[in-house]
Order: sequence, then C-alpha cells, then structure tokens
Amino acid sequence: MKRPVLTIYCLLVYAFLLAPILVVVGASFNAGNFLTFPPQGLSLRWYVTFFNNEVFMRAIRTSLWLAAVSTVISTIIGTMAAIYYVQHAGKRKELIRIAMLSPLLLPEVLTAISLLFFVYTIGIGTRTIIGLVVGHVLITLPFVFINVSASLESFDSSWDMAARSLGAGRWTRFRRIMLPLIKPGVIGGALFAFIISFDVFTISFMLKGIGMSTLPIQLFDYLRTNFTPEAAAVSTLSIVLTLGVVIVSEKVLGLRIHRF
Amino acid sequence: MTEVSIERLTKVFGSSRAVDGISLRIADGEFISLLGPSGCGKTTTLKMIAGFEPVSDGAIRFDGSDVVNVPAEKRDIGMVFQNYALFPHMTVAQNLAFGLEMRKVAKPEMEERIARVLDMVQLGGYAERYPNQLSGGQQQRVALARALVIEPRILLLDEPLANLDAKLREEMRVFIRDLQRRVGITTVYVTHDQAEAMTMSDRVVVMFGGRIAQMGAPADIYEKPETLEVAEFVGQVNLIKGRVTSVDAGEAQISTVFGTVAVPDRGIARPNMTATLALRPEALDLAAAGEPGAAGRITARYYSGSLVDFRVALSSGEELHVQTFPNARYSEGDDVTVRAPLDAFWLIGAAQ
Repeated sequence: MKRPVLTIYCLLVYAFLLAPILVVVGASFNAGNFLTFPPQGLSLRWYVTFFNNEVFMRAIRTSLWLAAVSTVISTIIGTMAAIYYVQHAGKRKELIRIAMLSPLLLPEVLTAISLLFFVYTIGIGTRTIIGLVVGHVLITLPFVFINVSASLESFDSSWDMAARSLGAGRWTRFRRIMLPLIKPGVIGGALFAFIISFDVFTISFMLKGIGMSTLPIQLFDYLRTNFTPEAAAVSTLSIVLTLGVVIVSEKVLGLRIHRF
Repeated sequence: MTEVSIERLTKVFGSSRAVDGISLRIADGEFISLLGPSGCGKTTTLKMIAGFEPVSDGAIRFDGSDVVNVPAEKRDIGMVFQNYALFPHMTVAQNLAFGLEMRKVAKPEMEERIARVLDMVQLGGYAERYPNQLSGGQQQRVALARALVIEPRILLLDEPLANLDAKLREEMRVFIRDLQRRVGITTVYVTHDQAEAMTMSDRVVVMFGGRIAQMGAPADIYEKPETLEVAEFVGQVNLIKGRVTSVDAGEAQISTVFGTVAVPDRGIARPNMTATLALRPEALDLAAAGEPGAAGRITARYYSGSLVDFRVALSSGEELHVQTFPNARYSEGDDVTVRAPLDAFWLIGAAQ
C-alpha cells in the first residue's frame, strides 16, 4: 500500500459508517429475548415472528406502496421541472432552483406541520391518503430534480435541433432522444426518491391517517414498548429491501444505459 | 430540387439587429457560402432558413412558397452542425435511420438507402459503430450522411469543419464539394474561413454586421472586393495610395509609387482624388534593385515551404507584403524592386 495513513483513515471512516448497520444485522439473528450485541446464540426466530406479525406486514406494505406511488409522481414532476429549469427558465433559473430544493433546506418537521395545516384548511385532512402522498412527493422531489438537471446540463441542444431537422416532433424528440440520454439521471433520481420515501419518518408521522402506519413509524412504535431483536430483524429487512431496489434497478435498467 | 429565395430577412435580438434585411436568391443545386466574422449574422441566417430561429421580418421561400411559419421539423432540410450532433446512444445506422423512420420509409428501402449513403461517405463498414467509436472526420461524414439520407430539399452546414485539424479540413472541403456536386442539392454553408468558402462555393456571400457586404463568385470576391472590409476579410491585401489624374469610360488613371496605372472604375473615382488601391501580395514580385518598379528594402523574410513572404519597406515610406515562390533568393536587408503587373491594381475607394 502506497499511502498507509490514508488507507487506515479511510477504513476507519467506513467502519464508523457501517459498524452500526453491522451491529443491527448481527443483533437480528439473536436467539435471546433482548436486543443485545453480540447476539446470544444464532436464530432466525425473530424473522419468523416478524413475518407472522400482521401489524408489521401491513406497515411494510403501506411503505412499499407509498414509496412506489410517490416515486412515480415525483419522477414525472421532477423531470418536467428539471427540463424547464435547464432549458427554458432563463432569468428565473436561480429562483426555481431554490424553490425546488426548499423541501431539502427547510426542516422536515416544518414542512410536515405546514402540510398538515394545509390539508385541514382545504378540508381533506388525513382521512384520505392524499396528504401523505403529497408530503412524500414533496420531500422526494428535490432528489429527482437534482439528478435529472445534472444529466440535462450535459444534454446538447444541437441533438434536439438535429432531430427536429430530421422531422421529429416534440414528443418523439423527448421519447427517442432526450429521455434515453438523460436516463441515468432519471433512474438515479427515482431510486433516491424511493429510498427517501421508504425511510421518511416525520412527514409520515404527521400526515398519516388514524390507524395507519408506515414501517419506520411502526418500528418506532414497537420500540417504545418492546426491546426484542424483532426490531433488528425489521431494520435488517428494510436495509435488504433498499439495497435490493438499488441493485435490481441497476441490473435491469442501469446496464442498458449506454455509457459515453 | 429547390430554389431558395430570401427577401429582406431580418432578425432582431432586443435592440440589436443580428440580421438586417438581407435579400438573396439561391439557385437550384447551387452551393452558397455565408462568410463573415463571428457575430455577422451568418449563423442566425442559417438558423432562420432551417426554422430554428423565428424570423423577425422578411420572407424565406422554398420554390416560391413562404416557409416562415413552417416549423423546422416540416421544412425537409438536412442540417450538419459544427459539433456533428450525432445521437450518442444510437449506432451510425440508427442515426441514419432516424430521419427515415420519421418519414415512415419501409424497412427494406431504409436499409438500402442507408447502405448507399454510407458508401457515398466511404463509411461502408461502420454501420454498427457508436459515434464515440469514430474519429472526428468520420463523425463528420456520418453527420453528412444523416443529413443526406433523407434526401432533403436543402442542405445546411454550420461551420462543419471547424473542429477538425488542418489537414483533414482540407480533405473534407474537397470531399463535401464533390459530394454536393454529385447529389446536386441546393446547399448553404456557413463559415468564417475564407479559404473554405472560396474552394467550395459557387457563390460567396460576405456578411458584416447583419448585412451583405458583397456577393459573387469566389474569384470576383477575391479579385474585385467592393469595400476595404471585404478585401481584408477574404485574404491578405496591400493598400497603397494614389492620386487620380483622369477618369474616362470606366477607367481611372492613377499615379502611384509604381508609376501611373490604369484601373477599372465603378464610378467612384474623381479627378484629383486620393484613392486607396488594393494589391494582393501574391500578385507582386521582386526584382533586383534598379529595375523598373517601386524601390525598397526587405525588412523581413518568412519561409513557409511552398511560398516565401517578404516585408518590403518602400523608399516612399509604405510597407508592402510580397508573396513569391521560394526560388527568389533575396534576404533581409537586400535592396530590391517590387514589380506589379498592370492588372494587379484594384480601386477600393477614396482614401480615408
């Protein structure tokens, strides 16, 4: 190794970042009754408990559904916003950027409370899931916007002109030229959106309907009264799920992205 | 095949007139160059012909029908861009197929046309390559093929050789010119490189400040520039002063350091006027001191292989730039005579 100090430093940073996750994963295979590390004997019993826990299963289904829906919506809106921002915004560019990124800049709890007021003011309240979806879209939108605008910055407007001169209308140019060329940014943004939505707590906590629960909320709820390794099993599964989404998307969609 | 007619075409950006009422008629199959420095309005003109830039005023007609309100995608033009603008996610064949798909050309015909055009640009074996696997010159030819395969009414080229190295640029000039002749397509070529415009075009349109300064055959532009700006833009030029002694029937007698010369006059010479005359460096020649001509001393000599450039300070105080073949064995400091053939003088106008 050429630079031992740097190498050791990097390893320490990784250890600092990853050790808690490893501890959780390790603790989830605990055979004992309490969330401890190192585990007291290996067992999958807490996974079995989890899969038989209807409350958790319902929460995970809600989370997945919510993440999927808000990812689709926020990918569409975020991509359109990014196209406007990069190609047409002109003098308003800076203003639009700040507006689009504001959900990131403002404390999440503030966004959540404002939205809560808003949904009650307009009368839909939290009886429906609309407020919750809007909240998730809002919080995931900046990630799509950032990723797509980054890949749009390297989109050469003469490609669009060339396609026009060859006879392609607006929609064809978007579908055949722009979309394939900004695909890495769109997919990256969508992945971010999915993961963020799956993970978000405050917004969900404020805007969820009564009796409804997402996985992070259910986990929080569970830990207030229980301290079993089941919590670690839930965490481990959600880590696996998140990683799974990333890997599968890379395999299915990512590999087809033409690198240039 | 298409004739293009441009009438009082104008483009206003804010308070500046990028293109200021130009009129131009391009014959069917003609190769025309818009030549001028950057910001002269040549690219804006091209973009208006293509339909990428809305027209502020004036008309553009293809075979008599006004296309000003026809969107670019419906104008049926082939366009080649300075940076080629090949679609990076498509192979060469897919790039070429794109325009044919838009025209709903049947598959077998499409394949046949792509193969034929690729052959024409000498890229027969490259159909399955991606643009980033090609050299600059090859990408250029693919861009040309993509524009031609749709058999457009007009071919527009926007500084297509600007990103190539010098040697390739010269090859491509000839290549594009020959190809254009074979296809016989009406072509508008935008460039700031006068040599490019000269070699390729049937007619050159020199533009300054959004207006046409002069248009005509390359030889006319070069040998008979109407203004000082045109003379200087299309090549190196010596400017000397002379006194008009008489004007008669389109010819002016002008007394210069080379003696009295007869120069064709376009109605600008007046007796006793001090006139500016243009002399191309390659029209001049050197001879031993004492010979008839303008006496002077060589102040600098630049050897460039096929030619030698001399700077000669005349005893009258003017400095001339003389370009000769390398067999002239003069060196710095030599006293020489600069000789000019009688038809080398061209009257530009009254001296400033």
